[in-house]
Amino acid sequence: MHNLKASNISRFFGFILFGVILLIVGNSVDELRVYQGATVAMYVVAISSIILLTGYSGQVSLGHGALLAVGGYGAALLRNNFNAPVWLCFAGAVLLAALWGALLGATAARLSGPYLAGTTLALAVGLPSIANQFKFLGGEQGLIFDIGLPPASLGEMFSLYKWFFWIASLAALISMWWLQNLLRSRYGRVWRAIRTQSIAAELAGIHVARSKILAFTVSAGLAGLAGALLSMTISTVSPGAFPLTLSFALATGAVISGVTTLGGVIIGAVTLVAIPEIADSIAHRIGASENVTNNLPGLLVSGLLILTVLFVPNGPVEQMKHRKKVHI
Amino acid sequence: MIGKNRRKLSVASAVIAAGSLLLTAMPAQAAEPGLTASSIKLGITIPMTGIASPGYNKIPGAMKAYFEYVNANGGVNGRKITLVVKDDQYIPTLAVAKANELILKDKVFALIGTLGTASNKAIARSAQLKTRGIPALFVNTGFSGFADKKAYPTSFSLLPSYQMEAKVIGKYLDENFAGKKVALLYQDDDFGVDALNGFKQAKIDFAIKIPYASGSQGVAGVAGTWITKLQAAAPDVVVLFGVSSATAAALGNAYAYKYAPKWILGSVGGDAVTLAANKVPPVFLAGAKGLSFAPSPADATDEYIKMFMDVNATYNKGVAFDNNIVAGMTSAFLAVQAIKSAGPNLTRKGLIAAIEKNGATFANPGLTPLGFSSTSHVGATGYWIGTYDTSGALKPDGGKYTVYTTDSGNGPVVLSTYKRPAMPAKGLPN
Repeated sequence: MHNLKASNISRFFGFILFGVILLIVGNSVDELRVYQGATVAMYVVAISSIILLTGYSGQVSLGHGALLAVGGYGAALLRNNFNAPVWLCFAGAVLLAALWGALLGATAARLSGPYLAGTTLALAVGLPSIANQFKFLGGEQGLIFDIGLPPASLGEMFSLYKWFFWIASLAALISMWWLQNLLRSRYGRVWRAIRTQSIAAELAGIHVARSKILAFTVSAGLAGLAGALLSMTISTVSPGAFPLTLSFALATGAVISGVTTLGGVIIGAVTLVAIPEIADSIAHRIGASENVTNNLPGLLVSGLLILTVLFVPNGPVEQMKHRKKVHI
Repeated sequence: MIGKNRRKLSVASAVIAAGSLLLTAMPAQAAEPGLTASSIKLGITIPMTGIASPGYNKIPGAMKAYFEYVNANGGVNGRKITLVVKDDQYIPTLAVAKANELILKDKVFALIGTLGTASNKAIARSAQLKTRGIPALFVNTGFSGFADKKAYPTSFSLLPSYQMEAKVIGKYLDENFAGKKVALLYQDDDFGVDALNGFKQAKIDFAIKIPYASGSQGVAGVAGTWITKLQAAAPDVVVLFGVSSATAAALGNAYAYKYAPKWILGSVGGDAVTLAANKVPPVFLAGAKGLSFAPSPADATDEYIKMFMDVNATYNKGVAFDNNIVAGMTSAFLAVQAIKSAGPNLTRKGLIAAIEKNGATFANPGLTPLGFSSTSHVGATGYWIGTYDTSGALKPDGGKYTVYTTDSGNGPVVLSTYKRPAMPAKGLPN
C-alpha cells in the first residue's frame, strides 16, 4: 500500500518534470517544431484513446476519426455560437464525444471482432459526411475554430503556435496522468480482466457489457479532446480533416506504440509526425522522382507497421520490459 | 521494480521526443524570406496522391515548366524562380502542416495555387497568412469567400466563382433552350448552394432538380437512381453541376441506361482527363457543352496555347498537354507578371500591392477580364461555352469564343467585349 502511494506521487512528479522539459524545449526550438509538437501532443491523446479501447478493454475501433470529428465540431460550435472560453470548448468536446461514445458503446457491446471493426469503420465513412447535410455545420468548407491570440501577459513574442503547443501539451499531460491512474484503478483491472478472458470475468461478478460501454465512453471522450486539439491546430473544422486515412493512421500509431501499454504512446505520435518529414528529406537527398517522393511516406509507415507486427508485436516498450523481466 | 523501469522508459521517451524536436536549429531570419538578389522561392501544396489528385497533380509540373522557361531566359528582374511542391492529399490538416513546412522550413516567399476551399481556409487561418503578410497567389477554388479582402487580404483567386458560372449557364440556357425542359444535378452543400443562387438570379425554372450528398455518388446504385429520375422527367437538357466523380457516375450510368440527353457540364466536374481517371472515356463527352475561361488546350492557333505547348514539350517532357497544364501555366504566367510588376525591390507587401494596382491589366491567356483591384481579389470574371469533341477537348462553337462576363452578386451577365492584351514577346516578362 505504501509502495503504491509512493509510486503514484513519483509518477505525478514525473509528469510535472516532463511538462517542465516540454516548456524548455518549446522555448528553444523554431516555430515549425513548436507546431509539430502540438500535433504530436494531439496524436498522443488520440492514440492513447485507441490503446485504452483496444489494448485494455479488447474492443477494436477503425473509426476513431469520426469521434475526433464530433469533438472538433463540438468545440467549434461552442466557440462560434456561445463564445465559450477555450477551456470550456475543450471540456464540451470531451463531454459531447463521450456521449456519442456511450451510445456507440451500447451498440458495440453487442458486437465483437470484425463486426465491431466494420461498424466503427462505417461510422468513420459516414459521420464526417453528415456535416454536409446541415447548414449549421458549415458543409464541405466547415467551420472556423479560432481560439484567439495568446494572452498578452505572455509577451508580444509569444507566437500562436507556441500557444497551441502549450494548450495541446497541457491537455496531453493531464489526460495521460489521469489515464495512468484510471488504468491502475479498479476499472483498469476490470477492463484487463475482460480483455484477457471475458467469461472468467463475468463469472467473477464483472458486468461485462457495462464495463465495455464505460471503456468506449472514456475512449470517445479522449478522442473528442484530440479532435478539438486537431481543429485548434488548423483553426478550422471540416469533414475533409477527418478522412478514413486519419482513422487508419491512428490505428497504425497505436500498433507502433504497442496496443497493450500506454508507455509507448509517444513513439507512435512522434512517428506519425516525423515520417512524412523524414521521407521528404530522404527523397530530397537521393533526388528521387516525383512518384517516389509522393509515395515514400506511405511506404515507410507501412514498412514500419509490418516490422512492428513481425518483431515487436506488443510494441517496443512492452518488448523491452519483457526482456528486462526475463533477465532479472 | 517494474515501476522503476517504466519511469526510466518514460524519461527515455521524453528525451527521444525532446531530441527529435531539437534536430533542426533555428537559422537566421532574412529580411524577406525566400528572396535573394538572384532567386525567388515559391511553394505549392496540392493533392499529388489520393482520390482528388488525378488531373490536379499535373498543375505543379506545368508551373515548374513555365518557370524553368522563364529562368532559362534570364528570370524575372534578374531573379530565377524555384517552386517547392508538397502533397496534401486534399486533407486540410495535411494542407496546414505542408503550408507550415513551406513557410517555416523552406521559407518560401509566397504560396501559389493551393487547392480546395477547406484547405485554403485552414491555411489562411492557421498559418496566419494575414498577420504574417504571406501572399497566397491564385488559390484554386471557386469559393466566393476569398473575395472578402478583409478576411483574406493576402489571398488572390483566379477561378471565377461558382455563382458566376451558374449565372453564365443560366444565360446560355435562356438564349438557346428557352421553353425547353431543363434538369439540374447538384451537390447538396454550399458548392451547390452557390450554384442554386446563381441559377435563381438567372431565373431558370428547372423541371427537376436532383441533389446528391457529397460522397453518395460513390455508393453503388445511387447514380443509377439519378438516371431513372431523369428518364422519368424526360428533360431536353441536363446540367451536371457536381464534382468530377459525380459527373463521371452520371455519365457512366447514362451510357449504361442508353440515356442521352443534351449535357451541360460545370467546369469543376467537366475536365476530360479527370473524368477519364474516373473511368469515363472522353468519347462519352462528345457533343456535351462545357465551360472554361482559358483558351481551349486544343486551340494551337491561340498564341498562348502555342507557347505553352512548346514550353510543355521542352520542360515537361512526356506529359500530355491538357486543361490542367493550361491552368498551371496560366497561374505561373500571372505570377511572373505580378513579380515583374512589383519591380526589382521585391517585397511581399509590394507584390500584393502590384496585383491590386495593375492586376486587371496583366497579360494572361484568360479570355475574360481580370477583376483584380484594391477592392477585389477575384481574377477571371466569366466563361465561354463550347462543345466537347470525341477526344474530350472543349472547343469553341464555330471556332469563335463567345465570352460572357458577370460578377458574384446581382450584376447582369453580358457578352464580353474584353480584348485580351497581346502576349509579350515569346511569352516572357520583357
